[in-house]
Amino acid sequence: MSGALDADQAALNVVANNVANANTSGYTEETPDWQQNAAITVNGVSTGDGVSETGATSQRDRVLEERLDQQQQLASSSSTRLAALQDVQALFTPDSGSSSSTAGDIGSDITKFFDSFSSLEANPTNDALRQDVLSTASTLSGDISNAAASLNSQRAALDQEATGVATQVNSLTSALAQLNQQIQSTSPDGDAGTLEDQRQQDLSQLSQLIGINQVTTENNGLSITTTSGQTLVSEGQSNQLTTGTVNGVTDIFLGGADITSQLASGGGQLGGYLTARDTDIPNALSSLDQLAYDISTSVNAQNNSGTDLNGTTGTVANPLYIFNEPTQVSGSAAGMSVVMTDPDQIAAAGAGDGTGDNSNATALAGLASQTIVSGQTPANFYSNFVTELGATISGVQSENTAQNASVTQLQTQNNALSSVNLNDEASAMTTFERSYQAASQVFTMLNTIMASALNLGEQTTVS
Amino acid sequence: MRVDPNYLTTLVGSLDQVQSNEQQLTSELSSGVSITSLSSNPVGAGANVLLLNQIQQDDSFTSSSSLVTGQLQVGDSALGSVVSQLTQAISLATRANNGTMNSSDVKSIGNQISGILDEVQTLANTSYQGQYIFAGGQTSSAPFSTSVATSPGVTTYSGDSDINYLEMPNGQKIQLNVPGNQIFSGSGSNNVFAALNSLVADYSSGIVNTSQAVSDTTALSTALNYVSQQRVTLDNSITRLSSATDAVSNEQTQLTSAQTNLMQADVGTVSTQLSLNETQQTALEDVIAQLGSSSNDLFSKIQG
Repeated sequence: MSGALDADQAALNVVANNVANANTSGYTEETPDWQQNAAITVNGVSTGDGVSETGATSQRDRVLEERLDQQQQLASSSSTRLAALQDVQALFTPDSGSSSSTAGDIGSDITKFFDSFSSLEANPTNDALRQDVLSTASTLSGDISNAAASLNSQRAALDQEATGVATQVNSLTSALAQLNQQIQSTSPDGDAGTLEDQRQQDLSQLSQLIGINQVTTENNGLSITTTSGQTLVSEGQSNQLTTGTVNGVTDIFLGGADITSQLASGGGQLGGYLTARDTDIPNALSSLDQLAYDISTSVNAQNNSGTDLNGTTGTVANPLYIFNEPTQVSGSAAGMSVVMTDPDQIAAAGAGDGTGDNSNATALAGLASQTIVSGQTPANFYSNFVTELGATISGVQSENTAQNASVTQLQTQNNALSSVNLNDEASAMTTFERSYQAASQVFTMLNTIMASALNLGEQTTVS
Repeated sequence: MRVDPNYLTTLVGSLDQVQSNEQQLTSELSSGVSITSLSSNPVGAGANVLLLNQIQQDDSFTSSSSLVTGQLQVGDSALGSVVSQLTQAISLATRANNGTMNSSDVKSIGNQISGILDEVQTLANTSYQGQYIFAGGQTSSAPFSTSVATSPGVTTYSGDSDINYLEMPNGQKIQLNVPGNQIFSGSGSNNVFAALNSLVADYSSGIVNTSQAVSDTTALSTALNYVSQQRVTLDNSITRLSSATDAVSNEQTQLTSAQTNLMQADVGTVSTQLSLNETQQTALEDVIAQLGSSSNDLFSKIQG
């Protein structure tokens, strides 16, 4: 009989533990395990021998948890990438058209720069119009080079973040390797309870950081590889990620092999950081570089082929360059600047023409409608650039929304199974309490029967 | 099936989402701009770049054209004066050629024509904002000068035949000047200065060689007609420029309204959305208050 009381007491302890851990992150609800005691057979009559409480089982679905982890990897990759892209798009806020909003808008800068040549057509010798060409040129080059500098520093910041994530991954994989060892030695055959809770908690954190695959091994061990198959944890052994600088950015190595590009597509925050750092920002930068390079070289060449206000035509030795002449496309945006200081050097007149001629100013203004940037006009190129950038961001945004919804759904499913529901616990507590009361009631009854038997029907001291 | 016991967290998540929507809508309302970032409407943002490009080009053309109109009008009025001066010279020459004048009258006519020559040369050297408008591309120095070292005198042109054009946003070109050599010293009998110089020489002595003088007078008439023809080019440019400016500012108005439609937040729609979101928010808050109240907890029902 005392077995029933013990079992109920143990079950109540399990409930108390559940209630106490209701808000502990990673805690999995436990339910008491009951075992019917072996029946005793006396004279061929089999009599039940009560119940034992043999422990508690965590309410866990490993498959569901793994699916949640995988979806978490995708969602955290896209939300990290989205955050980085939102910083990028802040540099290219659409110009609403009001004069205050045009500041810093490269599209308006391009138009104004070429328009300044159109105005110069009207009066090619006018000093104010010439000065205007140089000032719009420096606004254009300033805005392009600022945007490029901001992109470069955003890239450097992402690089730092990625390195930080690699360090966190290393500490988590070490912790997981240790947990594996403990679990394999303490509960090779079944759920490891709180140790397993910790392991799942670590796996869930690791899934936020990096894309992983989990493989269960013998004795309840676990191997973890990156999505592309490099081993991070092999049961009790963890392999550390190392970092090194390659081409000016931090690459990530595992066992001597550079796995940066695999990690970029793998998922997790690291995937998001690396994608933004190695794909999205370089794409934006290379568009700006192309724009800066083609505008600089075309305008320089055209200006160099005309005659300036001093009657001079540009030569190889003494070129009439408005912009710093770039030598290669890469880095053109960051290096774009105005080198011309004397507005008289703007070659409005055609080669050999008088200084009152405007044919070269017309040609310079005409560059705006010529396909000088990658087969497109400068304004079209910029328009396509912002459309593409916006479309990429909008795509990542919808991807992220969908993935987050899926994470929420899986999280809800998992919570429904594994979280502590206080109402359930209250009901279980009442059940076990009643059961305990019932068992103790049996004792009272037995006591009364025994007393009656001992007193043989007489009122005596035994009660 | 068991429900997720953390439903309150999920509801609070929805509440956050509703509030972030409200914030976005409020910022659209207060700024009046619907496309606040590239990703909110990528295609719109790209179209906006092109629309603004066109609007600014139109704007720039409108201000250029007002600059140029001044120059064209100065040129046109100079040529107008040239025509009236030449008409006067022809009538003077015709009077001198009819053989009824004494030599001092002829000389005086010669002097008057010489004065007209100076006047026409001054007009041919007209400048606008410091630039000589009949000098082709050599606008920095006066294009015409007359030497009287020989008889008849010789007027030389030091400009060139350069023609400037103003390009419209649609690529059409409007001629901005007519070089002086084309107006005043055209080929053959179209040379104003040669005719004037000859007439000055014809009358300088007081004795008129009638046949020579008549033929020189005829040459001046021909040259005058030619100047009038050249003036038409400038008049055409003024007319074209004025209609082009009108067309461009019409286009600009249309483009600006298209751009405003593209970028401007529709206050009606945004307000409706905002009000919907607010209703949602209130509903969510009520639900959360209901579910979160401790009377729903089974523990509170258990009698101690």
